[in-house]
Amino acid sequence: MEVLFIISSIVAVAGAVLVVSQRVAIYSLLGLLVSFFGTAGIFYTLDAGFLAVSQVLIYAGALAVLFLFVLMFASDAPPAVGPLVTVQARKVFDPSKVELPQGREKPRFAVPSALAALIALCTLAVMYVAIMKLPASFKTFGELPPTVEVARNTQPRDAAQPVTDAVAFGSTQGMSYTIFDRFPLAFEVVSLLIFAAILGAVLLTRAQARNTQPEPKIGDLSDEARRAEADHA
Amino acid sequence: MLDPQPVLLLAAALFCIGLYGVLCRTNLVLILMALELMLNAANITLVTFSRYWAGRGLNAENFTHAHTGQFFTLMVMAVAAAEVGVGLAIIVAVFRRRHASEVGAATELKN
Repeated sequence: MEVLFIISSIVAVAGAVLVVSQRVAIYSLLGLLVSFFGTAGIFYTLDAGFLAVSQVLIYAGALAVLFLFVLMFASDAPPAVGPLVTVQARKVFDPSKVELPQGREKPRFAVPSALAALIALCTLAVMYVAIMKLPASFKTFGELPPTVEVARNTQPRDAAQPVTDAVAFGSTQGMSYTIFDRFPLAFEVVSLLIFAAILGAVLLTRAQARNTQPEPKIGDLSDEARRAEADHA
Repeated sequence: MLDPQPVLLLAAALFCIGLYGVLCRTNLVLILMALELMLNAANITLVTFSRYWAGRGLNAENFTHAHTGQFFTLMVMAVAAAEVGVGLAIIVAVFRRRHASEVGAATELKN
């Protein structure tokens, strides 16, 4: 477990450093993907198997692909306008040959990277002090029983004594007990939230598409249709 | 044996790397990516405390209580997915109007 933790923490931190250090956006995205896998490994070492799998499914599977699509869509600007390196990367197919735009003026409210590093380091120092001041009980994770006998929610009618299941901590079964026994309302509310987010995303992108594309006039034949008409005549 | 403190320190380091990215990047998509890193670090902390709690005598009575941190992590994942969906839609909308995905591309509301 300890070896797995060390490996995944190195992977997670390396991916995170890639995200903030790369100039080419696609490379940042790959770093993010690596970091997500490292985090999944950390979840697994913390006895949260279900979360590790959902981390890979949701973050690495869905979110990273969403980012990839937006990087492909939202980077068709001419190079003079913005530092959208991804455009050229896609055309040249070799991100190392991409010429970075030179002499572009920085946005006025961009924090210089030295100041950003200072703020981040100060935050890290505060967190370090706080973590080191934790009570002595935080020196170790306690022992975890392999399984716990949890009573089923719906008992059979003719059972002499309550039916129990041997459930491990952090397993899918344990998480399902938590979700559907203890927090059913939060589960439903979050599904509503995701539904609203889907609607909002569709609306935000659809409305713009209608404004930017001129509608074709009725009766305005395309070239092919006109050619077909000429052939017919 | 794995201890809570190294895990918490790792989460703090990931959080600060994400914070640095949020502060110094100017591309909107890259800012969202760094934001995801910060959320991930918070998730690691939640799972760590959940595991710590479970290590202090897990039994049938407090079984679902011990899972609270993991459940909250699941909720954070769902909210992060929603946030990224809407955020990326906004970025695409801004890009269609301004042909730039920089933080300086939409400053009308500032003045």
